[in-house]
Amino acid sequence: MLRVRDVWKTFNAGTPNEVRSLQGVNLDLDSGSFVIIIGTNGSGKSTLLNAVAGTWSVDAGKIELDGRDVTRWPEYKRAALLGRVFQNPFSGTAPNLSIAENVALAARRGMRRGLGWSRERKVMDQIRGAVRQLNMGLENRLDNAIGSLSGGQRQALTLMMATWVQPKLLLLDEHTAALDPKSADKVIRLSEEIISRDKLTSLMVTHSMHQAVHLGDRLIMMHRGKVIHDYRGAEKRRLSPEDLLARFEDLRRADQLDESAAEMLRRTYV
Amino acid sequence: MSLLIGAFTVGLILSLLALGVFISFRIFAFPDITAEGSITLGAAVAATLLVNGTSPPLATLAGAAAGALAGTATGLIHTRFNVNGLLSGILVMTSLYSINLHVMGKSNVPLLSGDNLTTEAEAAGRRVLGADSLNLWGWDVGTRDFSVLILSALAIAAVAALLYVFFRTNIGTAMRATGDNDQMIRALGVNHGNMIVFGLAVSNGLVALSGALLAQYQGFADVQMGIGMLVWGLASVIIGEALVGTRQLGFALTGAVMGSVLFRLLVAIALRWGVNPNDLKLITAIFVFAALILPGMLEKMKRQRIPGKGGQPAGA
Repeated sequence: MLRVRDVWKTFNAGTPNEVRSLQGVNLDLDSGSFVIIIGTNGSGKSTLLNAVAGTWSVDAGKIELDGRDVTRWPEYKRAALLGRVFQNPFSGTAPNLSIAENVALAARRGMRRGLGWSRERKVMDQIRGAVRQLNMGLENRLDNAIGSLSGGQRQALTLMMATWVQPKLLLLDEHTAALDPKSADKVIRLSEEIISRDKLTSLMVTHSMHQAVHLGDRLIMMHRGKVIHDYRGAEKRRLSPEDLLARFEDLRRADQLDESAAEMLRRTYV
Repeated sequence: MSLLIGAFTVGLILSLLALGVFISFRIFAFPDITAEGSITLGAAVAATLLVNGTSPPLATLAGAAAGALAGTATGLIHTRFNVNGLLSGILVMTSLYSINLHVMGKSNVPLLSGDNLTTEAEAAGRRVLGADSLNLWGWDVGTRDFSVLILSALAIAAVAALLYVFFRTNIGTAMRATGDNDQMIRALGVNHGNMIVFGLAVSNGLVALSGALLAQYQGFADVQMGIGMLVWGLASVIIGEALVGTRQLGFALTGAVMGSVLFRLLVAIALRWGVNPNDLKLITAIFVFAALILPGMLEKMKRQRIPGKGGQPAGA
């Protein structure tokens, strides 16, 4: 479904703020798989998701989605194949538009938008039904501006909107990190439900060891712009939070070794 | 009374400017100064065509279309070449000054003889009323003033209704969302650059339509007539928001029209009181400045009065 081949991305190249975010990432996703990405801060997890979504163009490498080479496609064109939920719960919805208008916009993702009435009756009925299933009491507030809702409610709606038109790939970028624990739990359960119901191919970045261990059928660990571990099948099912923490500890030690070695060299030669 | 009706009519005609400014400023949060050039462009194109014998409705539409082109130019400069929005507008506005002079061939085109929408409205009024003046609640009102007022009101109502419908269609909703959250709208598959270009075309088309009508009402097009128009339009939008609020699209559109009319009445009253016309633009600018900063200052004062309840507003 998704093929990422040797993708490189450097931000602010040639300046003191240069960040080598992706350094030759390779990734293949089977159709219907639910893959978790974890990694330290700055390891390139979110950058990888943005590379797939086309937020900017990559420096080198190739990205294929659903058998098509999308490397040169602009973000809005790739959107026809992708559902996205962002870390910031305010990023996925237009605050001054009503709940109904937001969902109606999502109902035409990847389709032509003409002079048809955006709130036609058929769509509105579907929207009301789907919003009722969220069990948040929002079905009677469809005409309220979405900006008046809480972060958790907006994130649940964003998730619903991202999967309204079934995406070839669902990208979840730490989509519960900015929520309170109760909302986060609700959004995670909703994500699981939708993904298994529609058998969506999904890529989810998370900081939560709990989520990383309990969700998905495959887990990828990134470090310094590369994929360094890839757990699947039984191996993934056996993983415990302690195992993952141990891997992170290994990384930290390796980094420290690098730094002290560098320090020693500096003292000797400078 | 004639003065009052005049202020009303100009307010209605300039409400198209207010609607255009509403689209650029409020929907896209884009400070589009192209408006100052496109209002003159609309007037220049319409006046020149009228002098050359084009039919008034056609000349008016041509003026609006020219404005839409100007808006497209600003939008393309901003989105395709990544030029700052304000600067894109300034570039187009400045070039429009020369273009307007070329269109008119001189700095002022009078519309003293021949047909235009005002004379057509007057003729229609005469046919219906059959008199030179009519008695309105004890006031003697000229047929010309009256029929122009009624027909402008109808035309503006039609344009506002059309805009309302447009903003409720799939593409219109996407346009509103583009200004609200461009990240979201790209993730939903909308080319947000094209949306901005389209929106600025609509905005400047309305502004130029306003200019075309204004030229026919006041009887001339002048290369200087656009100066300060953006702030006037903004003042109308702000007054409208104060009058009816922004909770719903319909309110916001009606508010812009009402704001424009009220603003013109205020100007007429101020002039009647003996305010120097040269000071009008300064006063308007100060008014808009106050309207922009007052909400924030009031908020701050409220927060200071409740100690311990300060902090960031929700959704920051």
